[in-house]
Amino acid sequence: MSEHARFEELVLPHLDAGYNLARWLTRDVHDAEDVVQDACMRALKYVGTLRDGAARAWFLTIVRHAFYDWCGRNRPAELVKDDGSAIDMAADHSSAGPELAALRNAESRLLAEAVGELPLVFREVLVLRELEELSYKEIARIADIPVGTVMSRLARARALLRRSPLLHSIRGRTSGGEQ
Amino acid sequence: MNCNEAGMLVERYADGESDALQRRSIEQHLRGCATCAAKHQDLLALRARIGAEVPYFTATPALRERVRALLANAQDTAPARPRPRRDRWSWLTGGFVAGCAATLLAWSIGTTVIAWRTNEGVAVEAVAMHVRATLNNHLVQVASSDQHTVKPWLSARLDYSPPVQDLASEGFPLTGGRVDMLNKQRVATLVYTHRLHTIDVFVSPESAPAPLTLRTVRGFNVVHATGSGMDWIAVSDVNADELTEFVQRLARQSATP
Repeated sequence: MSEHARFEELVLPHLDAGYNLARWLTRDVHDAEDVVQDACMRALKYVGTLRDGAARAWFLTIVRHAFYDWCGRNRPAELVKDDGSAIDMAADHSSAGPELAALRNAESRLLAEAVGELPLVFREVLVLRELEELSYKEIARIADIPVGTVMSRLARARALLRRSPLLHSIRGRTSGGEQ
Repeated sequence: MNCNEAGMLVERYADGESDALQRRSIEQHLRGCATCAAKHQDLLALRARIGAEVPYFTATPALRERVRALLANAQDTAPARPRPRRDRWSWLTGGFVAGCAATLLAWSIGTTVIAWRTNEGVAVEAVAMHVRATLNNHLVQVASSDQHTVKPWLSARLDYSPPVQDLASEGFPLTGGRVDMLNKQRVATLVYTHRLHTIDVFVSPESAPAPLTLRTVRGFNVVHATGSGMDWIAVSDVNADELTEFVQRLARQSATP
C-alpha cells in the first residue's frame, strides 16, 4: 500500500517524461506504451529503493532499461547496428553554417524526423538533453556512461542532425532555388 | 586557447555546463575568433530549433488507463509479492517489520474483499428488510426501551442470546426488537431511533472476524461490524459517520456486561 502510494506520489508525475523518452526510442506509439507499462511495473516493484528528489531521473533510467530489454526481444538488429562506430567518421568533420540558414525554411517536421533517424545511442542522449533538459551528469547516470561520453555523443548527435540527408535534401532544394 | 581546445568547450558552454573559469576563457576566445563564434551561434540556433520543432510526446490516454489498471491490480497483489533482491539489506534492518506489515495488510485486504463479496447480498437483503418493516409499520414485535424486556423476548425465539442495550443517553434510544430472516437465518433485529430516523440493527453470532465495512444500498447506509462474538449489521438513513460510530459503540460496549 505504501509502495503504491509512493509510486503515485513520486513516479506518476513523470509519466509524460517516461513516455516521451520511450516514444523517441521506439518511434512508435504502441511500442512506447508497452515499454512504459513495463517500466511502471518495475518502478512499482522497486519504488521502495527510490530516494526523494531524484524520481524523474530514476524513472527515466528504468524506462531506458525497459526499452533496451524490449529492443533486444523485438528489434535486436537495431542494437547491433547502433554501436555508433560506423558513423563516428562521418560525424566528426561537421561543418556548420550555411545549412542552418536554409533549415529555417524547411518544414519543422523534418527536423523531428531527423532526430528520429539518429542512431539509438545518439538519439537517447539528445532527447535527454534537449527535451528533458537534463544535465550531463544526470544523463551520464541514466545512460550509465561517463560524462565525457555524454558530451561526445551529444556533439555527434548534433553534428549528425546538421548532416542528416533529410535536412540536406532541403538544403539542396532551397539553395538550388536561390541560384 | 586555440580553436582545437575550444571545440568541445563551445558545446559545453552552449549547454550551460561550463564552470566560471572555462566560461571566461571561452568567452574571450569567441570574441577573437569568428569561426568559433559562428559555430557557437550555430549551436544555439540548432538548440532553439530543436526546442521549438521537435515534439515532446505526452502520455496517451490509453497509457494512463493501462497504468491505472496496473495500479489497481497491484493494490491487491503487491504486498504479497516476494520482495526484490535489491532490497535484501533493508530487509535485514527495517524490511522485516515492513514484510510483516505487508503480510498483515495482504491478509486484511483479502479478508475485506471476501467479506465484501459475501456480505454484499446480505446488505441488500438487510436494506430490503428495513424498507419493508418501515413501510408496513411493522418495526417492532416487542416494543420496549427496556433491554431487560427485549433481550429475553429475543432469546426465547432464537438459539442464541443477543446483547441488547439502550443507548438513549447517547441519543440512540432503543425502541424494541423483532425477529427477521436474514441470509437464511433467524436473526435478532434491534430497533433504535436517532432523532427522526429509524435504525435497524441485525445481530447474529459472528461467522468470521471481519473488518468494519460501510456500503450504501439504495440510499441507505449499511455498516457491518463484528464485536462481542456477534455480527452487527446496521441499516439506516442516518449519516454514515454517525451510524458507524453507533455500531462500533454497540459492538464494543456489549463486550463488557
